[in-house]
Amino acid sequence: MMSLASYLIISLVLFIVGLTVMIARKNIVAILLGIELVLNAAALNFVAYSKYVTNNLDGHVFSLFIIVIAAAEAAVGLAIVIRFFQIKETIHIDEATQLRN
Amino acid sequence: MFAQFLFIASALLTVGSAIAVAVTKNIMHSCIFLLGSLLGIAGLYATLGADFVAVTQIMVYVGGVVILMLFAVMLTGGKDFVSRAQNLLGLAPAMGNKFTYAVGILVAIVFAATNIKILMNLPSAPAAAAANSEAFPSTVREIGFLLTKNHVLAFELSSVLLLGALVGAAIIARPKKH
Repeated sequence: MMSLASYLIISLVLFIVGLTVMIARKNIVAILLGIELVLNAAALNFVAYSKYVTNNLDGHVFSLFIIVIAAAEAAVGLAIVIRFFQIKETIHIDEATQLRN
Repeated sequence: MFAQFLFIASALLTVGSAIAVAVTKNIMHSCIFLLGSLLGIAGLYATLGADFVAVTQIMVYVGGVVILMLFAVMLTGGKDFVSRAQNLLGLAPAMGNKFTYAVGILVAIVFAATNIKILMNLPSAPAAAAANSEAFPSTVREIGFLLTKNHVLAFELSSVLLLGALVGAAIIARPKKH
């Protein structure tokens, strides 16, 4: 039951769901939720391979770095979202056209 | 036995909550389901013997990131934008027409085949990992040694990155001056 393949399948489902959220949603905060899911899928893969294949703890350390990067990304991304809402009065992704021309 | 129960419960919580994040129309409910999914991933870390990573996941994500997301949703009105054209299943607001769905199905087939190929070539678990798979030894001491010996440069750089990101976020999100 608890094998490397089961963890990889869970991670695959998380990755696909995160990608779907990033593509299908029109709300910028929802897109950030999808990015969090994708990053968590990657971190879960690192820890699973660290237990079942390499037998050392480098995967754990890399997973911790992923968590740190995700926290920084969430802080900056949400600050940008709030600034965008202050300027445009909406957080629909189709309104983000400032760099189009 | 306990590890099996924890694994099954965590896997169900993770996958179910992640799918609920995708199909829920209310963005606030999506945030709460993301919290459930992240808690499930912490449980999966615990079944892998990564106790320190599991605790860090709970503290950083559930205590920090999801709260930040909830604040952002509340500060921006909490509206989700349902597009006029519903998708095939009528679940989430989606873009696309028949062409994009066809391309998406093709990409999904290729992606699934690639992953099946990778899964068929998995190395079998080493005997040492199979022997202590039920035990939960502490990893805090080894992770501390690794962070201050092998990965010390990345550790310091991540602290500088976190400081810069938080100061930058505070500067970007400050209210407009009149």
